Amino acid sequence: MASEEQKLLVSMIEQFAKEELENVAQKIEKEGISKDIRKRLAELGLLAATLPQSENGADIDRSSFSLVLMTLAKYSASVAYFIYLQNTLVNEILFKAQKRKEEIAKIASGESTGTLVHDINLNFPLEIYIKGHELYGANNFVILPDADFHLVLARSEKTSYLVMANPVKIEKKKPLGFRAISFGFASYKQTIEEDRIILKDADNLLKSHIFDTSDQIAAIAIGMSESALEKAIEYSKERKAFESYLYEFQPISAVLSDMKGRIEEMKKALMLSEDTKDRILLKLNALELARSASRLALQIYGGYGYLEDLGIERYYRDSMYLTMLSSNYIKDIEIISKNIISPDAFKI
Amino acid sequence: MSFELPQEVEETRKRARNFALREFTKELIEHFDETEEYPNEIRKKVFDAGFITIENPWNMLVTMEEFCRVDPGIGLSTLASVFGSEILLLYGTDEQKEKYLYPTLKGEKISAVAVTEPGAGSDVAGISSRIEKSEKGWILNGHKMFITNGTVADHYYLLARSAPPSKEKRHHGLTLAIVERKWNGVNPVKLKGKLGMRATDTAEITFENVLVPNENIVGEEGKGFYIIMTFFNISRVYVAAQSVGTAQGILDLLLEYLAEKPASFREMEYVQFALAEISTLIEAARNITYKAAAKVFSFNPDPALTSMAKYYAAEVANQVANIAFKIVGIEASGSKLEKLYRDAKITEIWEGTSEIEKLVISRMILKKIQEVK
Repeated sequence: MASEEQKLLVSMIEQFAKEELENVAQKIEKEGISKDIRKRLAELGLLAATLPQSENGADIDRSSFSLVLMTLAKYSASVAYFIYLQNTLVNEILFKAQKRKEEIAKIASGESTGTLVHDINLNFPLEIYIKGHELYGANNFVILPDADFHLVLARSEKTSYLVMANPVKIEKKKPLGFRAISFGFASYKQTIEEDRIILKDADNLLKSHIFDTSDQIAAIAIGMSESALEKAIEYSKERKAFESYLYEFQPISAVLSDMKGRIEEMKKALMLSEDTKDRILLKLNALELARSASRLALQIYGGYGYLEDLGIERYYRDSMYLTMLSSNYIKDIEIISKNIISPDAFKI
Repeated sequence: MSFELPQEVEETRKRARNFALREFTKELIEHFDETEEYPNEIRKKVFDAGFITIENPWNMLVTMEEFCRVDPGIGLSTLASVFGSEILLLYGTDEQKEKYLYPTLKGEKISAVAVTEPGAGSDVAGISSRIEKSEKGWILNGHKMFITNGTVADHYYLLARSAPPSKEKRHHGLTLAIVERKWNGVNPVKLKGKLGMRATDTAEITFENVLVPNENIVGEEGKGFYIIMTFFNISRVYVAAQSVGTAQGILDLLLEYLAEKPASFREMEYVQFALAEISTLIEAARNITYKAAAKVFSFNPDPALTSMAKYYAAEVANQVANIAFKIVGIEASGSKLEKLYRDAKITEIWEGTSEIEKLVISRMILKKIQEVK
């Protein structure tokens, strides 16, 4: 259950989202997250939400941050993911490493953006290497390649590093979802000074951090599901077929109600996850929920949902894209199996 | 009992596959997906290669499957340029066939079916466009929505209400007419920004006091609903084939992906099970599609079976996309797999949503209770 403080926070975020995101959500998808929006997110403390106030953060606890992401995702999943990226994948990592505090401050103020370039969700490691102090290699699957700086996972013969770098070349591609956030290719060829090395043995530390924050992805997925369902229910009360409203048809009513139940259960679970295994499981289920809810909404809207004007097809793209960005099913299920069955599970 | 298609059909399949692989290049697929233009030049090549022939529907069916396997957007656009021709073949007068059907089958004209309206999609009997008798012929007023080929077609096979519906028989009083796109009062507007199938031309069309000559009425006045339902029995089989082709295309891409990866990845049982599931789903969808097609093409249609094929194959296309994404993950981003995921969704919506198909199936099955009694 959310505390009174959390309810107050959610209400504030909801008000912001309704007033400043809801009506421009489609525009944001087309034009990206502008500097003005970043500034507003910064004013609300959302770009360093989980960091202490001494680091320009808003000092929000873990479950409250999940509620923030869930609430924002209802209005703009791209903005919610952007906040997750800046907070969890950039600022929190820099803060934990106690490195480049000036960059944390710049992101917190909305002045700059960062991104994390890694291969943890890929089936095979990327070829980004560091030899001596020379970084080189490329990644085809970079979210926000035009960020002001990149935290890049690079491997050497003996270990792996997370280094702060700037790409020599980027190529943007139209992503399946979250079209407000760029996506594409980045290549690196740069000498890395000592103060740009953020983490050593970065592979394991990053894995641990990314898997442990899976509940935040779940929060975004649940918010998207809730929004898609609300729109589907709304439309079922407007649209008639065979002289009856859609919601009056038993199968439609049943499937909408069932989805509502699943979402409510998932919201409860979000507040209860205790360890990494719980959080990964939650993420997998929430992503599946988001895909189902978006498919349901599109089906209820029919042909109208297939057109981008009403914003329904966006849920369909975004839910699969969030899955692709945040989950490698084989790796996720391997961790869960080893935790809940036996360390020998998922061997062959 | 043989599950093999005739040699001639299998040869057509091979030709269609080779044609699609050669002509539907990566650049063209991306171009039409990006610009949402209609692939008219490829359509002409499809005609020249002799793939469009409703006289041998099995050839068209396997061509649909193979074209959509390579690219559903271009594949469907080109083959559906004769959309609705079966209506004239079955119900048209000699004059109508001469003026509209034969030029269409030669690739000189493009046709479209205009049934769906803003307030009536799956509920065909709920349409409100009106066609009324006048001294000079018929006057058409109305609004059609999501019309495939809407801005490129030369003529539409259009369903409109010619008499008010009775409470008991809502589907009575609907009349089918051939309406030319360039006539006065016809205003098609292209709908852009579709999730997928972006090479297909989709339009919203308004009809304002359009004069339709008497000779352009198809079949009996007031019996248009039956004509359209007969046509849907045919067109839904092709949508099922579209779904099978899309699903097969997804499997092809998954195999291509796996071929590039180390053998150890293919040896993972999780991956192998996913392949087994996908292959089984596609095989089942193909079999039900062919069974429904066999009934339709032998003039012995089974509406329940047709609806089963359309509903099941569409579900399979979408399910297969989801399974493939679980394996490929983010590496699918920007790839053709991502495009097929977007393209697949429409199969659960057009030519009757999956919900409508389930209604058709259940109604036909419930009739059997009466037979038992």
